[in-house]
Amino acid sequence: MSSILTVLFNGVAYGFLLFIMSVGLSVTLGMMNFVNLAQASFSMFGGYVKVTAMQSFGVPFLASLPIVFIVIGALSIVVERLIFRHFYNTDDLTQVLLTIGLVFMSIAIATYAWGGTYQRIDMPSWLTGQRDVLGLTLETYRIFLIAIGAAMAIILVLGLERTQLGAMVRACVDNRRVAGACGLNTELIFALTFAIGGGLAGLGGALSANLLGLDPNFPLRYLVYLLIIVSVGGMGTISGTLIAGLALGIADVMGKYYFPQFGGFVIYVLTVACMLWRPHGLLGRQT
Amino acid sequence: MKIAMKIAASLLVATSAAVLSGFGASAQETVKIGILQSYSGITSLGGQQTDSTVKLFMQKYGDTAGGKKIELVRRDTTGPNPEVAKRLVQEVVTREKVQVLIGPDYTPNTLAAAPILMEAKVPSFVTGAATTGIVGEKSKYSTRTFFAVPQLCKPLAAYAVKNGWKRVFVAVADFAPGHDCEKYFIEALKDASGTLAGNLRIPVANPEFSGYMQRIRDAKADALFIFMPIGELSIGILRAVNDSGLKASGIKIMGTGDITDETYIDAVGDAALGTITTGIYSTQHDSALNKEFVKDYVALNGAKPRIGWGAIATWDAMRMTYDALNAQAGAKFDPDKFAAFIHGRTFESPRGPITIDKANGDIVQNIYIRRVDKVNGVLQNVEIESFKDVGFK
Amino acid sequence: MSAIERLTPERAKAATGYFARLARWNVYEILFWLALAGMYFVPNVDLVLMSQIFIWGLFAMSLDILLGYRGIPSLGHAAFFGVGAYVAGYCGKFGWTEPISALVLAMAIAAVVGWLTGKLVQRVTGVGLLMVTLGLNLILYDLVHRSTDVTGGDDGMQGIVIAPVLGLFRFDIFGRTAFWYALIIAFILFVIARAVVKSPFGLALVGARENPRRMIMLGAPVEGDVSRAFALGAALAGAAGALLTQTTQFVSPNTLSFQRSADVLVILIIGGTGRLYGGFIGALVFLILRDWLAAISPVYWYFWIGLLLVVVVSFFRKGLLPSLETLLNRWKPSKADGPTA
Repeated sequence: MSSILTVLFNGVAYGFLLFIMSVGLSVTLGMMNFVNLAQASFSMFGGYVKVTAMQSFGVPFLASLPIVFIVIGALSIVVERLIFRHFYNTDDLTQVLLTIGLVFMSIAIATYAWGGTYQRIDMPSWLTGQRDVLGLTLETYRIFLIAIGAAMAIILVLGLERTQLGAMVRACVDNRRVAGACGLNTELIFALTFAIGGGLAGLGGALSANLLGLDPNFPLRYLVYLLIIVSVGGMGTISGTLIAGLALGIADVMGKYYFPQFGGFVIYVLTVACMLWRPHGLLGRQT
Repeated sequence: MKIAMKIAASLLVATSAAVLSGFGASAQETVKIGILQSYSGITSLGGQQTDSTVKLFMQKYGDTAGGKKIELVRRDTTGPNPEVAKRLVQEVVTREKVQVLIGPDYTPNTLAAAPILMEAKVPSFVTGAATTGIVGEKSKYSTRTFFAVPQLCKPLAAYAVKNGWKRVFVAVADFAPGHDCEKYFIEALKDASGTLAGNLRIPVANPEFSGYMQRIRDAKADALFIFMPIGELSIGILRAVNDSGLKASGIKIMGTGDITDETYIDAVGDAALGTITTGIYSTQHDSALNKEFVKDYVALNGAKPRIGWGAIATWDAMRMTYDALNAQAGAKFDPDKFAAFIHGRTFESPRGPITIDKANGDIVQNIYIRRVDKVNGVLQNVEIESFKDVGFK
Repeated sequence: MSAIERLTPERAKAATGYFARLARWNVYEILFWLALAGMYFVPNVDLVLMSQIFIWGLFAMSLDILLGYRGIPSLGHAAFFGVGAYVAGYCGKFGWTEPISALVLAMAIAAVVGWLTGKLVQRVTGVGLLMVTLGLNLILYDLVHRSTDVTGGDDGMQGIVIAPVLGLFRFDIFGRTAFWYALIIAFILFVIARAVVKSPFGLALVGARENPRRMIMLGAPVEGDVSRAFALGAALAGAAGALLTQTTQFVSPNTLSFQRSADVLVILIIGGTGRLYGGFIGALVFLILRDWLAAISPVYWYFWIGLLLVVVVSFFRKGLLPSLETLLNRWKPSKADGPTA
């Protein structure tokens, strides 16, 4: 019994990890309808910023997280102003090609700046090891992931889906000219949303680097996972991303525990089945 | 359509210029060594390490051997990609007229290239592929300076049982080398009268290990044997073993040396401490030759990235190339004599003594049992026991 | 290209002999193929690279049938390439060494797989379609990669023997046979594909891409077209895969990797969709540049390839071929029919 509960707990934690990694993409793709695969690169840079802050400047782990959010958020504003804003009106494939090009460039940049090898990731001792909770021995970092993931989900759902800012962003995306005519500063809103999306991607990288390993190939390795979570959840919904992350996370861990011979299949098969069943994702708006 | 075609035709003419490269005649008295390694992406460290080692070797022993000037031709295989690797081998062999080849890396690349090297009679060194039987009859000009999978997988079974860890759980990466290693290890475990507590094949694209960890824990084994390719899987599983509390539960963690490779053991961190692995080489190896090698390497290339197995495999390949060229000094380069000189040779490498098998060019070498310890604050694979002259089958 | 897009189904019906005119070859097309063949005689040319360019070009053209003509973006096109490659590999391994018949078999099997895929996804569009094709590709890759006993797994399949083409031309280490074999097969399949897209079926595909609702009202079987387009695209992709196996006498899971699916999409979009030639142009540019960059900057060539993509989408938004075409149209106002973008 206790092993079932432990496996379930681990699945939930993995689900939150998937959510944390992909929520940045969910924001830009869902809210702004911009296929930004370079979010995976922002995640990688988030990881590197965290490592550099902690190792070169002695910043503690928790304090490094807001730094990551701000630095990567600022970086994504720069990229948005320089490049992305010229591509808002292009089709999906053009955006895919553009941003995959940026991913390639980011890999070379990271290799140049930090070297090709895997980074050493130090975690504070209070986040390592296991704790006994209600008779179960649980990994401390996974408890932390669930807590921070849940907090992010609440803030984002309330902040972006239920507020005026969220409504403003969606108004800008749906009809930019009308939104502008209504007095919205569309440029500013787009840039801000991009910053939030980028900052979240950076956080995702910073929070997952110790589990996933951090090297220049990070973006290509995990891009597929980001795409899967966001599209299974459905474009334009943060709660959908959360549900997809949790469902796939739990299914993956359970699948590995009970049917290890099926290996990594579970997540792919579920994705295909889900997309055939609901092509717009679990919570996606049908068009 | 018309205009499109006009453009297409002119584009073609323009690009045809780009395909042309180099010039035909090569100067006399040079030997061209092709270096086919991966320099890009996930696998870039392999190529960089090869380059660093070649640079060190040529700095130390000069750029001529046997009166011939050494010229290097580098190409990027881009990782396990036989389509590219085979094309590059064809290219360096037929157009660059390379006479000796270091690489290509990875088993599929090596297998795809073998017929070309055989037909063109180009001696090559396998410095980064470990599958059994990829050198030998079908590639008699090839020499392996790396290792063969059974060399690393078998000795650990005997070692575990000898130390009283009789029930062993086997976890391998779910791809061909992993299946290979699983087979050899389980065989050797049975021979040593140990028992298999369970086995798992873990997908190669896998960021999450907790389900597997729980399964291993349920099996209540004495030891866990791990085979993972170099890279994030090794880091991930060692961290998972530690974070999940599996290691603290008392189970012995062992594996092939890939999982604690020096090039990224720092990224694993203290989670790697105490891991028992088999290896062909550790920078901690206690010999004068190795101390000199490590000192020179660090002096030239810096302390990071750290020296891994690729470096030692390349070093020995260069060593044998120079020796073989010196042996045919003054004569025209002869690939048959070159291969014959190397095959059957025994010499002292920084890793310890090695022998190249006369019949098929595979390697016989000492296999070391190592434990991850902190030496002067740095994680190292410290050799604690050795198996002498382990064969490649 | 604009010739195709401007035509409405109504006009097509009205104009007898229209398809005959559409299918007529012009001098530049002939020049293009002659130039490709002429590459053989360029001194010191990398014949193996050229043969792989033809293969990639054919592969990209097969995606063009789906994406360019039917508007179906597939993120899993390497699956069909891999099916063809492995069928050819098994043929060579188990004694069916004659390459041309093995190639036809590979195409047939890939076509069946494509047709089934089309059946499966015919009601799915947009992101769903991307993810389903991607997912199927990943599943197939995983299956082949793990099944070491059956496929050789990650190490690749050993023991593939390919007999000389027509019993005369052995695959040599200089890549001479590979060059001609790949070029001629690619050309023949191009001719077939060209005939198909310039037939009523091809026009129906374009119609379904542009306005599926209208096609349905016209009584055209829009959904059935999806599986037929998939079958055709898959057959051509399978041929490209078989060509790769046969010219390299080796096959590994790399032939079905997601990386290959992404690369072929990049190649096609660089060249330009909806033209059949776009794939070949894209393959020429992409592979030659990649080879050259990897040689001069082995560690950092990713950067330059990335920059190439960014530049292409910034300045040649529809791909090289169509963008240059638009440019030329501007120079020649007499022939101009407005920017195609």
